[in-house]
Amino acid sequence: MVMYFLSVLIGVAFFQPLGGIFDRFDTLRLRWIANLRTDSLTDVVLFVNLLASRWTIRALRWGTIAALVGFRRWRHLFVFLASILAAEIVAYQISTLLGRSRPLGITIIAPWEGYSMPSRPLVGLAASLVGIVYALVVQGRPREIAKWIVGGVILLLVFARLYLAVDHPTDAAFGAIMGIAIPLVAFRWYTPNDVFPVTYRRGKAAHLDVGGRRGEAIRRAVQDQLGYEILQIKPIGLEGSGGSTPLRLRVAATEDEPEQYLFAKLYAKTHVRADRWYKLGRSILYGALEDETPFQSVRRFVEYEDYTLRLLYDEGLPTPRPYGIVEITPEREYMIVMEFFDGAVEIGDAEIDDAGIDEGLQIVRKMWDEGLAHRDIKPANLMVRDGKVLVIDVFFVQVRPSPWRQAVDLANMMLVLAVKSDAKRVYEHALESFTEDDIAEAFAAARGVASPTQLRSMLKQDGRDLVGEFRALAPERKAVSIQRWSVRRIVRTAGVLLLALVALLVVANNWAVFA
Amino acid sequence: MLVPACGGLYPQEPTCGATNANALILTAQAVPSATLVPCIAEFPSGWSYDGSRIGSGSAQFFLNSDRAGFHALEITLTGSCDVSNAVEVTAGAGAIPGVRVYEEPISLPPTFQVNRYLRFPGGCVTNRFRFATGAAATLALEAQQALSFVARSVLVKRAKEESGLILCGAEAPPCPG
Repeated sequence: MVMYFLSVLIGVAFFQPLGGIFDRFDTLRLRWIANLRTDSLTDVVLFVNLLASRWTIRALRWGTIAALVGFRRWRHLFVFLASILAAEIVAYQISTLLGRSRPLGITIIAPWEGYSMPSRPLVGLAASLVGIVYALVVQGRPREIAKWIVGGVILLLVFARLYLAVDHPTDAAFGAIMGIAIPLVAFRWYTPNDVFPVTYRRGKAAHLDVGGRRGEAIRRAVQDQLGYEILQIKPIGLEGSGGSTPLRLRVAATEDEPEQYLFAKLYAKTHVRADRWYKLGRSILYGALEDETPFQSVRRFVEYEDYTLRLLYDEGLPTPRPYGIVEITPEREYMIVMEFFDGAVEIGDAEIDDAGIDEGLQIVRKMWDEGLAHRDIKPANLMVRDGKVLVIDVFFVQVRPSPWRQAVDLANMMLVLAVKSDAKRVYEHALESFTEDDIAEAFAAARGVASPTQLRSMLKQDGRDLVGEFRALAPERKAVSIQRWSVRRIVRTAGVLLLALVALLVVANNWAVFA
Repeated sequence: MLVPACGGLYPQEPTCGATNANALILTAQAVPSATLVPCIAEFPSGWSYDGSRIGSGSAQFFLNSDRAGFHALEITLTGSCDVSNAVEVTAGAGAIPGVRVYEEPISLPPTFQVNRYLRFPGGCVTNRFRFATGAAATLALEAQQALSFVARSVLVKRAKEESGLILCGAEAPPCPG
């Protein structure tokens, strides 16, 4: 099939006599179909041909865009727009290159515009419909049904275009194939089902589906690599996590251990890419605030978290016991497994007494002493079990951090604890482990992005000006700027702006083709 | 960039004596009744081709001028045209047999705007001159040198020679369907 279309393309484009052969071949087929023409059938077919009208295609596209914006499915929206734009541009360029006239030797009985090969209306409709199927329809049976419907609609339109003799058979087939192939490849490549499933359930795009084949792969890999038989896999705490898929695994008893729960975080290449974009964004917005070097592979990504987990555990910090890394798909998906704090609740849902405040502060003190920074101190990462404060999610831990970063950890911990009590009480407890200068420095450093989003929204909900109260208690200190300027930051910012401008120009220049 | 900003204009020039007559054949297909098809003979200095928009019922070409401006001349082939507001003029030395010329002045210099209609059996070509402010009206005479016609019968013959198929419409045997 591909060879056939390539031969048509090359033949029509470069060899005039070959073009004539294809014209005659196509016209013969059109004449066969034209034998079916009757007045009533023509009316029906003209109605079917409205599928190829600009207004139908526009309605489909704008409807899809509105739906994707409504569902905040930005990645699918981007792929939808890009694939349609690509399909339209490629179709336009090929039609210009080939410059094939409309069918000769037969009466054309419907409106048309421009050169005939490939059929641009078919490209437009097929690309839009395939885009809809992959961007809006749930994978599985609904999508299979949608594919058949789309196939039927496209075939119907192909027949209509041939009946009306506005396209040659090769134009129509080429247009349909191109319109299907471009979005199909784009969606399969950039929004693979297992990583970016179309669902209408709540949850973040970063969370992977752990049912089906992946679920089986996880069970097999954990059994083979860690020696635990998984009885149940359950996604857990999805709302507090955006960088991985957190799971609770119920594992069968072994000779040494009873049946228990383990905690696991599943990472895929998409998380590495997300981390890369996140760091690029930070380096543009704030400069080299700290190490913004991105990870190059998901293996490195998970290895780093395993390292930090073991480091903190070995240092005696109240973090989960590491169980190791599980390879699900080499270089594509890995899972890190650790102790599950069964019975623990998020600090936001727990009661905190003086001992709890001390424990929280001691965690920061210990990290300071060991030359570490957690970098993501927020309620979702602090658990309480039997009155004991525990720390989870150590992926952002930094060894030998800057004094600024350590100061921010202290401020964030004090803020979390103050939300559960009050600023004065936490301040007094903090003075047992930190100096007034340390605290003053912490609240001079903790501003804006330095505090995690969850903590900032919790402070907002709380209503008290806890940051202001701490600053009033501590000695006065000039605010520490979080903006760092460098040539690298300027070059990156200029590069991103340039790319955005180019993208904008491409869209603007092709707007008529698209819209 | 990749596609002209004006939305899907085709770059092929409908040149009168072109080896590849696809643009002319498509133009002829747009208005099957037209016995003549407009084409570009030769560009006077400062004039250039900007693209075409061809579809069933009409074919348009756009010419730019370094003095008269962007799309200073728009040439449109249709099956017929309304000349009720225009006056017939003599075509002059370059008259084409069977073509009657009408002119409809819209505005005089400094913003020269005129519609010029060329009617012939089965078709009409409208030349819309829309010059930039300050451009001399004599540029219209220059622009007209660029335009000519090719007889449909010539294109019918070429289509037959190249593909063995009929370019349906005037000057050709009836087509099936």
